[in-house]
Amino acid sequence: MSITIRNIQKSFGQFKALKNINLEIGAGELVALLGPSGCGKTTLLRIIAGLETPDTGVILFHGENTTHMHVRDRHVGFVFQHYALFRHMTVFENIAFGLRVRPKETRPSDAEIRRKVHDLLNLVQLDWLADRYPAQLSGGQRQRIALARALAVEPKVLLLDEPFGALDAKVRKELRRWLRRLHDELHITSVFVTHDQEEALEVADRVVVLNEGQIEQIGTPDEVYDHPATPFVYQFLGDVNLFHGRVHEGQARIGDVQLELPGSPERRDSAVFYARPHEIDILREPDGQAAIAAQIIDIRALGATVRVELERQDDHGIVEVEMSRDQFNSKDLDRGESVYLQPKRLRVFAERNGEENLGSAA
Amino acid sequence: MLKRHGVLPGFSITLGFTVLYLSLIVLIPLSATFLKAATLGWTGFWNAITEPRVLASYKLTFGASLAGALINAGFGLLVAWVLVRYEFFGKKLIDALVDLPFALPTAVAGISLATLYSGKGWAGQFFTPLGIKIAYTPLGVVVALTFIGLPFVVRTVQPILEDFEAELEEAAASLGATRWQTFSRVILPALLPALLTGFALAFARAVGEYGSVIFIAGNIPMVSEITPLLIITKLEQYDYAGATALAVSMLLVSFVLLLSINALQRWSQLRRT
Repeated sequence: MSITIRNIQKSFGQFKALKNINLEIGAGELVALLGPSGCGKTTLLRIIAGLETPDTGVILFHGENTTHMHVRDRHVGFVFQHYALFRHMTVFENIAFGLRVRPKETRPSDAEIRRKVHDLLNLVQLDWLADRYPAQLSGGQRQRIALARALAVEPKVLLLDEPFGALDAKVRKELRRWLRRLHDELHITSVFVTHDQEEALEVADRVVVLNEGQIEQIGTPDEVYDHPATPFVYQFLGDVNLFHGRVHEGQARIGDVQLELPGSPERRDSAVFYARPHEIDILREPDGQAAIAAQIIDIRALGATVRVELERQDDHGIVEVEMSRDQFNSKDLDRGESVYLQPKRLRVFAERNGEENLGSAA
Repeated sequence: MLKRHGVLPGFSITLGFTVLYLSLIVLIPLSATFLKAATLGWTGFWNAITEPRVLASYKLTFGASLAGALINAGFGLLVAWVLVRYEFFGKKLIDALVDLPFALPTAVAGISLATLYSGKGWAGQFFTPLGIKIAYTPLGVVVALTFIGLPFVVRTVQPILEDFEAELEEAAASLGATRWQTFSRVILPALLPALLTGFALAFARAVGEYGSVIFIAGNIPMVSEITPLLIITKLEQYDYAGATALAVSMLLVSFVLLLSINALQRWSQLRRT
């Protein structure tokens, strides 16, 4: 079931939650709505579900206009951040709920409900919990039960609102891989909301990056990570270093440093250059004019990677560099040492107007 | 000797105070009642509490209390629902009005209800053509007991309803439940323990009610005479032992009823842990 979202706008009083959203979600796709809190991603998901009505615009499910259809008739499975399990029902009854509330003509028999619920419990690998109450389960188990409950009604679309947001890091990681596998098995069109870029990049087929009620970029995880369309996307999808400078004769000028910036012939008197921490080299010796002098102020080892914090000698700006532990060991760097920074890759966006993408240095 | 090494300090002093307090306020007066009643001896006691007139009064007292508490369970739930779920002009005022039966002297309530519901009263006149008499009948007793019990149900259900997560209703709707199914299968079970508490409180209050009832009941022996009134009557005749015998019987019945409501509540709460 494909979903088409056209010109959706939504305001809450003075606050514009969504500003003219257009989005096409293909059948069987797993799409992430990614953005900071307050960007409108949950509102958009709730509009797709029918839990919220848009001020303008339409939602089509497989070409059929569902904008004014009640949530109960939309056949969507909705999974809430805080599970929303019915506390007074056993796990079994929670999952069976969607089948039991059907009108008599379409309600399956008790035996069939039992079979179906157990199939779903097996699918989420929690068959042994059928007789427990939600309060007796862990967060990860509850969310899997909530998912099974949503799947019981055979939804055409599965919508998940920050499904792993309330879980601890390890369970979260486990569950998102599990969700990905489940999706590969069931191929049900799914949309999930998250503020965690790692989660979006790992799980989704496509990522929709939202900011302040607008779509910043739509693309595969690789596309949005490697070719961010706007400075916002660049900054949101990972740590970033900013260098202020200008573009002159196809070269980036940062202070006294000149760097090649192919594909950018234009002259620009004021520009911001972006480089990710792992896209910067630390050199012992200056390499012509293409290196920025800096001093190491902190070194932190984070598992497999090492993060080095440096202070630039020209304008005292802070730069973060990330490298593997092996690289770090071979360089043998110490706190307080004076070194040179060389960006391996620089991106520049026109200032203020994020739409224009000037080019990048490789 | 109870000894606890918890993080909460002052276990022994708070327990000691609780026991002392309960003894002075509840246990000693109650045991005095039992002692006084015991002076009648078994047969005397039994005869006192099984007199036909007394039996009729039990029926009225407990029956009308039950009816009032049941009505309150229904309408109190409705009032709580309206107060929590909807925004309307004068909501604060109505919210405050709910507590009025707590504050109003019961005699005032009884007199105004009796006037209102008498055959020619503002409300009673509409029932007269239908052949329904409210004041000075058992029905009047039910009206009075409903009046005084209303706040209990509203005030116990209201906070639970306020804390009820909207997400649960949304989840039910997304699973295809109708509004009624959502209410009866998701909301009501969540409210049930609070509703039972409110019901038990309203019932207990109604059983002991005296002031408002005697004005509207008419107090016709065998028909509209409540047990507390019989107790007063006996006291006025200096039959202290007989009065306490009735008190003891009421006490025991109330205790058993409240205990079973508690058990019911326990059971409904056990299912969710």
